[in-house]
Amino acid sequence: MSRTAEKVLQEEFLLARAKILELAAIFDRIDRAQSDPTSTSASTSTAELDKTQHQKQLLAQGIAILQETESNRARRVQLLMSRPYESSWREQWTI
Amino acid sequence: MDYIDPHIHMVSRTTDDYETLARMGCVAMSEPAFWAGFDRGSVESFRDYFRQLTDFEPKRAAPFGIQHYTWLCINAKEAENVSLSREVIAMIPEFLDKPNVLGIGEIGLNKNTRNEATIFLEHVDLAVRHHQQILIHTPHLEDKYQGTRMILDMLTGDSRVEPSRVLVDHVEEHTIQEVLDRGFWAGMTLYPVSKCTPQRAADMIEMFGPERLMANSAGDWGPSKPTAVPDLIMELKRRGHPRSLIQRIVYDNPRKFFSQSQRWSDPATNCAT
Repeated sequence: MSRTAEKVLQEEFLLARAKILELAAIFDRIDRAQSDPTSTSASTSTAELDKTQHQKQLLAQGIAILQETESNRARRVQLLMSRPYESSWREQWTI
Repeated sequence: MDYIDPHIHMVSRTTDDYETLARMGCVAMSEPAFWAGFDRGSVESFRDYFRQLTDFEPKRAAPFGIQHYTWLCINAKEAENVSLSREVIAMIPEFLDKPNVLGIGEIGLNKNTRNEATIFLEHVDLAVRHHQQILIHTPHLEDKYQGTRMILDMLTGDSRVEPSRVLVDHVEEHTIQEVLDRGFWAGMTLYPVSKCTPQRAADMIEMFGPERLMANSAGDWGPSKPTAVPDLIMELKRRGHPRSLIQRIVYDNPRKFFSQSQRWSDPATNCAT
């Protein structure tokens, strides 16, 4: 690595700022849609509501990872968003 | 800087893209067989597709000084149709002696199903029996971690497979370590929303080093950028990395991996190798 932490932060600050703003705007968009009675769909299924709830939880957990001091945040966000792996899958499928 | 794109779907691109890639420094590329965006109906559709990959695309690339190589298979999405998959696998040897064929690929998993795994294993067996290299597709998004681990289980479970002759593509932060630790080559696909940005790829190069690591654009019919490898070159330059490191990722490593095939010949290039 040829860059100091200070240089990385200086170079990446505007990019990070822009991405935080994008996230903030996405959450605002969701809030506006929730509070707008004309956007409520009576036909939304339970499965879709469950999926939405799960997605909201994932985003909240992902944001929480960003605030932790432990490193490898990108890897941990990836694992958070991943289906679990079971090492016994070949035995279960007899394949 | 001259570079090699190890994974790009030129059948989806225009001839203008070949010209642009040449202007950006692309001297060679390899094109794995993939999903057309719809499920094909018969083995004859694949035979025509393989003719396109082995005959037409090399001719389209040549005027721009780009060497075009390819890999053959039926992709994981269509592997749910097991009977069609077996017809295609039986037909593939017709094309294995074509001068631009490097091996079997991109084989892998999509939704990590039993049928996909069955056809994956049959592709691996085909590759081993014909002494072909293998190019692997790993699944997208939430299926990637599970699917990559399953693929590695199947590859390492077959003692005939030489990891040094297998390239596992679309690695990301949560899969790259396992792939490299087991001795395989790893490819980072610069495909911003569903895979990896040039910035994150540069991070992985810094974290894991250049050994057995390369980068590709996967430029295809979806939202993708065929000039993504030059974007990575720019990002690495911006961070102050030496030319030797950049060249290793975008030229030396793909060349070293592909050179294991007798069909590969080094492009005329300014890169000292």
